[in-house]
Amino acid sequence: MGTEPGFFKRHHFLLRRLHSLSGIVPIGLFLVNHLLTNSTIAWGMINSRGAEGLPPSVIEQVGQSTAMRVGTFQHEVGFINNMPFLILIEIALWVSIAFHAILGVYYATSGSPNVKHYAYQDNWRYSLQRLTGYVAILYIFYHVATLRWGWTWLTPTDEPWTYERASSTLAMALRGQMTGLSAGGMAVSLFYFIGITACVYHFANGLWTAAISWGLTVSESAQKRWGYVCTGFGAALMLLAWASLIGFLTIDIDDARQVEMSKHATTAATDQNALVEHLAAAETE
Amino acid sequence: MATKAAPNRTVRFRIKRCDGPGKPSYWHEFDVVPEKNANVISCLKQIAEHPVTASGQKVSPPVWDSGCLEEVCGACTMVVNGKVRQTCTCLVDVYAPNNGDTITLEPMSKFPVVRDLWVDRQRLFHNLTRIKGWVPIDNTYALGPGPKESPEKQQVRYKLSECMSCGCCLEACPQFQLETNESKWDDAFIGANAISQVRYFNEHQTGKQLKSDRLDTMSEKGGISDCGNAQNCVKVCPKEIPLTESIGAVGRAVTIHSIASFFSRK
Ligand code: HEM
Ligand code: SF4
Ligand code: SF4
Ligand code: FES
Repeated sequence: MGTEPGFFKRHHFLLRRLHSLSGIVPIGLFLVNHLLTNSTIAWGMINSRGAEGLPPSVIEQVGQSTAMRVGTFQHEVGFINNMPFLILIEIALWVSIAFHAILGVYYATSGSPNVKHYAYQDNWRYSLQRLTGYVAILYIFYHVATLRWGWTWLTPTDEPWTYERASSTLAMALRGQMTGLSAGGMAVSLFYFIGITACVYHFANGLWTAAISWGLTVSESAQKRWGYVCTGFGAALMLLAWASLIGFLTIDIDDARQVEMSKHATTAATDQNALVEHLAAAETE
Repeated sequence: MATKAAPNRTVRFRIKRCDGPGKPSYWHEFDVVPEKNANVISCLKQIAEHPVTASGQKVSPPVWDSGCLEEVCGACTMVVNGKVRQTCTCLVDVYAPNNGDTITLEPMSKFPVVRDLWVDRQRLFHNLTRIKGWVPIDNTYALGPGPKESPEKQQVRYKLSECMSCGCCLEACPQFQLETNESKWDDAFIGANAISQVRYFNEHQTGKQLKSDRLDTMSEKGGISDCGNAQNCVKVCPKEIPLTESIGAVGRAVTIHSIASFFSRK
């Protein structure tokens, strides 16, 4: 047996700092971008160019607001889907999340939360950081498995999520039925609410603690000031997260399908297959 | 303190007992009529003089540690009603002002129990050797006067120098765990007091000769990166040492040190 300490011991500090860094870039950065994109389903109605490219008949049928919300969101999703090297970006993200999550669980299990006896606000923050980490693992796994890997058997609908029909298929995966919420839809929506809330808290609080770990904030007043910044930033992200959820819970699924279909047909009109598909779909309509 | 405590009241002490290292613990309850302005140690003395439990059983007198009796040595640190603090300054009039009030005493949980309320804080002192908590002035001839100290740094260091190694900050820290196996001490989280002492000695003009060694220790397993920023340490420190500022300051020093040594270490 060698006397050389193991890999994890030798690189303990580096791994800790990489864990901290990975939570901010790329994971945190992605989260901000993801919530900005998804929340367009709520605030897309104020995007003056949201309904651009949609035939007037469709806009009239579904209403200006739905057309702009779904139009903007579909546009954003289309943009992401057409990014070069998307699969590499995705793999980098998955690797980072796996790295952060696996080390995160290892770090979290090495602590012994004690809010029962020391019920200070900061101690609650510490415990919640661990708890929201666990919730984030469950939530992110469910989110990716059901929408990206098509595990529809875990959702209240059997319609798989596709990027061409991102708005309506996501709304179905959340709600389980065309109008209102099915029992399963209620459970999934609640889980989404808890999951996204946990992720945003975890990120905002992580930004605050990372500043101490790296030595950016030293004095108590600097830590306080940075705390206000992180709280404000977290609150704004939280609003975006909740707006996304509310957006998908309130959109009219039937109307969303109309917008998606005409949007897809116009943006992909040169694509022979898509055109044929669109015509076939229009015929059965 | 202007608390009105009932005169001649009886206070119930619940004491967690243990006959020796590794032995199981059990509880005994004692009734005490506290003397005027009593503190927990004076009540323990009353109990030890007459070690009969509330149910009339004669038992061995409870064992505890204490020294200065004025909150400067840290020896009497215990867990009182679930929270760590010094017991010599723990006033019974405040904690149990009414007849029949209970005070619960436990030994600290992060250090091995020697007996009853007495723990062995050896690891805390060992941790101070891990960070080379001293100023290197040993030599075979007189080194002459040291470099000048600025009043600003003296101000910072004065506060940090007040640490009495009591262990409160370690007891309340969710990242600091009991470790009875001495060979594992060097890998286990070192705790807030030692991190603060790194800052203390590194801020000293002569002490900082060992700065690099201290920061190396801080960037090993068990060093500063194992702190989870729960900030309990700073809230329970009886000397109000700005431990979380020290953690930020040493965090900054270690960030710079590790980047510098990446580029310059041979
Ligand atoms: C997937 C499951 C996740 C787990 C189990 C997890 C766990 C943890 C834990 C335990 C910490 C505290 C580390 C320490 O202070 O020593 C932490 C810190 C952090 N996490 Fe996560 N996390 C997860 C996901 C995320 C996500 C999705 C984000 C971004 C939105 C994120 C961002 C951060 C940040 C910024 C920190 C601060 C690091 C520091 O204090 O230096 N984490 N995470
Ligand atoms: S830092 Fe404070 S709580 Fe910790 S050992 Fe020193 S005096 Fe006690
Ligand atoms: S800030 Fe660090 S050292 Fe202080 S109680 Fe929290 S984890 Fe422990
Ligand atoms: S006996 Fe010294 S601090 Fe209490």
